Amino acid sequence: MTEGGDFSGASRREPVSLKASSEVGVSGELSANAATGRAPSAVLACPTLMAREVSVGFGSKTVVSNVNLEFHPGTITALIGPTGCGKTTLLRSINRMNDKVRGYWRKGSIELEGTEVSEAHMDPLVLRRRVGMVFQRPNPFPMSIRDNVVVGVKVHRMAPRHELPAVAERVLKHVGLWAAVADRMSDSPFRLSGGQQQLLCLARALAVEPDVLLLDEPTSSLDPQTTEIVEDLLRELAPRLTMIIVTHNLAQARRVSHNTAFLYNGLLVEAGDTKQIFEAPNEPETVSYVSGRIG
Amino acid sequence: MTTTSERSRGPASSLLAGKAVGSSSGGPGSGEGQGSAGGWGSGGAGWEGSPPASRQRWWRFEQMLPRGLTVAVWIPLLAIVLLVVVLVVKAVPAIRFNGLHFFTSDAWSTGNAFGSVVTTGGVRHFVGASYGVLPLVVGTLISSAIAIALAVPIGVATALVIVEKLPMRVSSGVGFCLEVLAGVPSAVYGIWGVLTFGPWLAHHIDGPIARNMPDVPVLRWFRGAGPHNVVGQGHDLLTGGLILTVMILPIIAATTRDLLRQVPRATVEGATALGLTDAEAVNTVTLRWVRSGIIGASMLGLGRALGETIMVAMVGGALLGSSPHSIFSAFNTIAAAIVTQLEAALSDPTGLQVGTLAEIALVLLVISLAANVIARWLVQRGVGTALPVGRGI
Repeated sequence: MTEGGDFSGASRREPVSLKASSEVGVSGELSANAATGRAPSAVLACPTLMAREVSVGFGSKTVVSNVNLEFHPGTITALIGPTGCGKTTLLRSINRMNDKVRGYWRKGSIELEGTEVSEAHMDPLVLRRRVGMVFQRPNPFPMSIRDNVVVGVKVHRMAPRHELPAVAERVLKHVGLWAAVADRMSDSPFRLSGGQQQLLCLARALAVEPDVLLLDEPTSSLDPQTTEIVEDLLRELAPRLTMIIVTHNLAQARRVSHNTAFLYNGLLVEAGDTKQIFEAPNEPETVSYVSGRIG
Repeated sequence: MTTTSERSRGPASSLLAGKAVGSSSGGPGSGEGQGSAGGWGSGGAGWEGSPPASRQRWWRFEQMLPRGLTVAVWIPLLAIVLLVVVLVVKAVPAIRFNGLHFFTSDAWSTGNAFGSVVTTGGVRHFVGASYGVLPLVVGTLISSAIAIALAVPIGVATALVIVEKLPMRVSSGVGFCLEVLAGVPSAVYGIWGVLTFGPWLAHHIDGPIARNMPDVPVLRWFRGAGPHNVVGQGHDLLTGGLILTVMILPIIAATTRDLLRQVPRATVEGATALGLTDAEAVNTVTLRWVRSGIIGASMLGLGRALGETIMVAMVGGALLGSSPHSIFSAFNTIAAAIVTQLEAALSDPTGLQVGTLAEIALVLLVISLAANVIARWLVQRGVGTALPVGRGI
């Protein structure tokens, strides 16, 4: 039962505990525990990722302030909110993609399985192997389709050279792209369609067997059919991964995520079970946003 | 998304615009309006009524423009055809006289200019005239090879540092220096090489290298002459090659820098997000992305190195009649030989010398062309395997 999920968030006003169960479900006892208790995580599975009092900014500008979130194994968490509310900045803080941005700073702690991600012995290279990322637009590398998939496996030395083609085949089958590319593994990925390119990028991220997958609006450049394929795939991958998806598409957040966190003006307004956020939100801003009045 | 839909809506709306123009202005203007809207595909203006007369005049002028430009397209083609034809016509007597031996011979002898003129196979020449292009080809290829071998890695590294590492203000300063370097006339490089750089190399660098190289096949090229390993005054292949390196460096570095700035940020970030180090990201993404461009830039540089004239004529030691045997030998290139021999050739009443210079000019043309063809092949190969469709030189 490690797939149960508890989800805690805190608003800017008062730290609140929010209970959220994944579709996999948790026992009634745990749910009750989580709903009432302030510290349910002691009884539940340890969260893969935990953000505590995280504030992020660039120079004198604060983009995200005082966010508390937990991400449990096997869950998909959607980060929603209007443009510029800090979703992507928060997401990129997790795998330290902001480190090189001028003036970037972060307060609070982001822990991956109990280890602070910016700690000295948490090597960014290892961190990024364990925390994969898929971007807004497909960004295949200028190399053959096969090399695109296995480049991470190669640099992290996760498989001997002669096994790389097999790894590529396995991962591409996993994302459902194998049939389309089996006979052109040595070709350029730029001849694939946009959706296929995005699936390739997903395969590339999955090939290094990450624990966490960060998805930054992964379907915003795709057509509805491909979006559906990607969403189905995310649901299928969910039990083995912790996924965080930034999306502007509220319907998508509703369809794929177990938990939803709503950010507004850099503050975490509300977080909890997706169903609850969309159907019975507690905060007035959330009500306005999910009903389409702001955003 | 918006742009795509607007673009796809373009032709339809412009057709409508054309009709609007036709119906509003009526009479003679209507046909014009429809034609222009259909061809030009810019919706919008037509909705407001017919475009102003000045715009319509422009439009008619633009319609004529391609016909005028067609003439311009023929100019380069005509130039290259005329060039080759004139060179071949001038070179024919020399080609007949020199034969195939020309490509294997070291000789460069005008014959006895005070003796009698004889005729061999219908070609008039002095007694004892004998020419060979081999030393010039060897000098041209080796000096350019030195330049390319050094300038490509240095130039690419320079561009990478400018784009990836240096802060904006410093990098624009370095970029300015590169552009200044590209603009230095070759005679200035030449005089610097003859007076300063060559002698300095000969006194401080060449000696130790020349004395310590073993006498084995490839490394023999780095030994001095004779039993005492004499290196001379620095008017040699090494000096020439190094100055050529500096001369083509700005071409390669500046072009590569501009290419690197076009590599999409998201793709490099993708590599970083996958856990690649900066060096691995550069290697797997950045350099692959610009590879065909770097090949193109290198070929531009090679073109300049192969054809470099005055600088080589000044620092090369004006060797004629024998091939260089080490990088400390004097050398000559085809281009430098043409310019240094031209005056003597013009005073040759048999015309054989001028013909021979035309012949070596043809050889240089073929070498440059071959370099270009190889470059194109390399670039196409790069595009075929990995680069985005439509990229490359």
